[in-house]
Amino acid sequence: MLFNSFNFAIFLPLVLTLYWIISSKHLKVQNILLLISSYFFYACWDWKFLFLLIFSTSLDYLTGIQIAESNNERIRRFWLWLSIAINLGFLGIFKYYDFFAQSFSEGLLQLGFHVNPWTLNLILPVGISFYTFHGLSYVIDIYHKKIQAERNIVDYSLFVSFFPLLVAGPIERATHLLPQIQKKREFNYNKVTDGLKQILWGLFKKMVIADNCAYYADLIFNNSENHSGSTLLVGAVLFSFQIYGDFSGYSDIALGTARLFGIELLQNFAFPYFSRDISEFWRRWHISLTTWFRDYIYIPLGGNRVSILKKIRNTFIIFLVSGFWHGANWTFIFWGALNALFFLPLLLTNRNRLNLEIVAKHRIFPNFIEFINIVSTFLLCTFTWIFFRSENINQAVSIIITIFSTSIVQIPEIFPFYIIILLIFFIAVEWLGREGNYAIENIVIKWKRPIRWAYYSALLFLIGMFMQTEETAFIYFQF
Amino acid sequence: MKKLLISISLFIPFAAFIYCFLLIIWGTFAPSSFQKNLNYRIGGHMYERIREAQLTSKVDILFLGSSHSYRGFDPRIFKKGGFSTFNLGSSSQSPLQTEVLLKRYLIHFKPNIIIYEVYPGTFSSDGVESSINILANDKNDMESIKMSLIQNHIKVYNALIFSFYKNYSANNPDELKSDLKEDDEYISGGYVQKKEMYNNRKSYKKNKWKLNNDQFSAFEKTINLIKKENIRLILVQAPITESYYSSFSNNLDFDNKMKSYGEYYNFNELLQLDDSLHFYDSNHLNQSGVEVFNAEILKTIKM
Repeated sequence: MLFNSFNFAIFLPLVLTLYWIISSKHLKVQNILLLISSYFFYACWDWKFLFLLIFSTSLDYLTGIQIAESNNERIRRFWLWLSIAINLGFLGIFKYYDFFAQSFSEGLLQLGFHVNPWTLNLILPVGISFYTFHGLSYVIDIYHKKIQAERNIVDYSLFVSFFPLLVAGPIERATHLLPQIQKKREFNYNKVTDGLKQILWGLFKKMVIADNCAYYADLIFNNSENHSGSTLLVGAVLFSFQIYGDFSGYSDIALGTARLFGIELLQNFAFPYFSRDISEFWRRWHISLTTWFRDYIYIPLGGNRVSILKKIRNTFIIFLVSGFWHGANWTFIFWGALNALFFLPLLLTNRNRLNLEIVAKHRIFPNFIEFINIVSTFLLCTFTWIFFRSENINQAVSIIITIFSTSIVQIPEIFPFYIIILLIFFIAVEWLGREGNYAIENIVIKWKRPIRWAYYSALLFLIGMFMQTEETAFIYFQF
Repeated sequence: MKKLLISISLFIPFAAFIYCFLLIIWGTFAPSSFQKNLNYRIGGHMYERIREAQLTSKVDILFLGSSHSYRGFDPRIFKKGGFSTFNLGSSSQSPLQTEVLLKRYLIHFKPNIIIYEVYPGTFSSDGVESSINILANDKNDMESIKMSLIQNHIKVYNALIFSFYKNYSANNPDELKSDLKEDDEYISGGYVQKKEMYNNRKSYKKNKWKLNNDQFSAFEKTINLIKKENIRLILVQAPITESYYSSFSNNLDFDNKMKSYGEYYNFNELLQLDDSLHFYDSNHLNQSGVEVFNAEILKTIKM
């Protein structure tokens, strides 16, 4: 069941009505209803994988209790590593086994040995990378005594499986979400309308921006060898907007949906394409994953408080792991490595925390330097996205060579003018709303109701006029 | 909660009004490349056909179906054979639209025979193109709304809203010409004749028809309506090029299904036509092909 599907448009109001009207007085009933709805939502993808989700949930629930109850460090460590091993084991089998088998066989072939790899060809359970990370952070936090183990199985299961975040995040922390699940939620008109607004903006990002860009980006990338450098550059820029519209659109819908139920999820995107350098970009892009890696890998490795060599090592580790998390392909790993390369000079010169606030705060326009920095950071990101989007490294390299050839000055063969106009509108709205949590949060809030509503209706109209008529899945579902 | 319900019940009609208003403005003034989900194409043969249909009453034979119908049954040949006819075919007309047209025009034409051209391609389609064609070129009523709801497609909804506006505003004569093809000629009686052209032979990849259940349920309703009126119904699969026809592996399944509805002839199996001499493209007969095909149909009717 996709967020941008007709089925979800029926499912959500139905669950919401039951939640607020029938079960509003009883927290337990609310949580049970949300859990059943979440499992139903997940089973709509593939009911067989529901068992895997329940198994993973039960494993972390039980190991969490075992760790919390034991005072013996060895036993505590045993349960921690058991949980990590099984969680990552499942992730490894479903997501990475075929990749390793294939790569191993290719490596042997280079040495002159021909081996037929034994591959499993398993379907990747949707959301496995996300709920595995939910569970891992929970168990690790208990081990480090940052939180207590949750004894209520319904509350814990809901923390892992809450349907807005189940299939593509944001990756929540127990410290943030569990207390909200345990606390009685009161209906709040302002929160609900705010949630609806965020859903609307998320749908616009996905259905208008991402899906339209996707059509042309696919057209260009799928036939990249026959296009000029200028067309490939258009394709790369369109993909940059596609992936942003798609994933941040999903996150907006997830956050908005959760807010309808009185639950606040972690902000996942904070206008990353207005970043002035690559380190600011990474503080604003897929925030819940970046902070997860920071807290559970980078800091335990020593973080910044180590020698320069170790700093470099740690940076490469988290970016490579981040790339690998996205998928079992060398393109993702290369994408991660490139980001590490772009990030390192800033880290080593202590310039990685220069831009903490949003650009041009309380001003309408950025100054010239800021503008140049934003554009160059965007182009740098676009350069790395070429690897992310390409089928293999060879294709990515070939695209980059063509972009840097003389054909860059040719008139692009594919130049969808209507998308350029939509993108200008999109960037303008995002720019105006960049000091909020999402673009349209505060834009027309002070205006009179008819103008506000006309604005929202106009967004609905743009969705109706420009949406793709085929249902399109979100990119991050494959991760 | 009460406040939210009141707000929502006010916002929905408000948003619907703004949506319709913007759609009309957009449809009237925006360049066509910006009208992604408003493929409203007034004019062309359907506009002329519908206007003529409104002025015609009582025919011996009514033809229904896709472009295979309005480019395949020539009223002049049938007139020589002693039958008055009208061709109510339309581009990609699928059973969903046939049902709507028949409900509108059956009483008007009071035919003795209906020749319904059935093509697996239209049974496999979503019917969006044909719905828009009908919405744009005919007066709209409850049947149009019902058809749009069944299709449940944004392009159809947009065309429906825009067509209601167009029904109440004068059509621009330039728009009516914009959809005409230069080598087509509209012939009175709903037929469209192509300038004499020949098909270039091609080979096709193996394929399979993916028949759509919604189309079959609309088809069954149409069949029941015709049977209720005691009209002789002849289901016909018009010829397409042999190379294209044989590229589909489940033609026999479709034939068997059609036979279960009554009198059915698949002229791909009954006629020996030449892929180049009798067709102007893979799907459509040229005038030489139409003459051969219609002569066979006349024999069938007189059987």
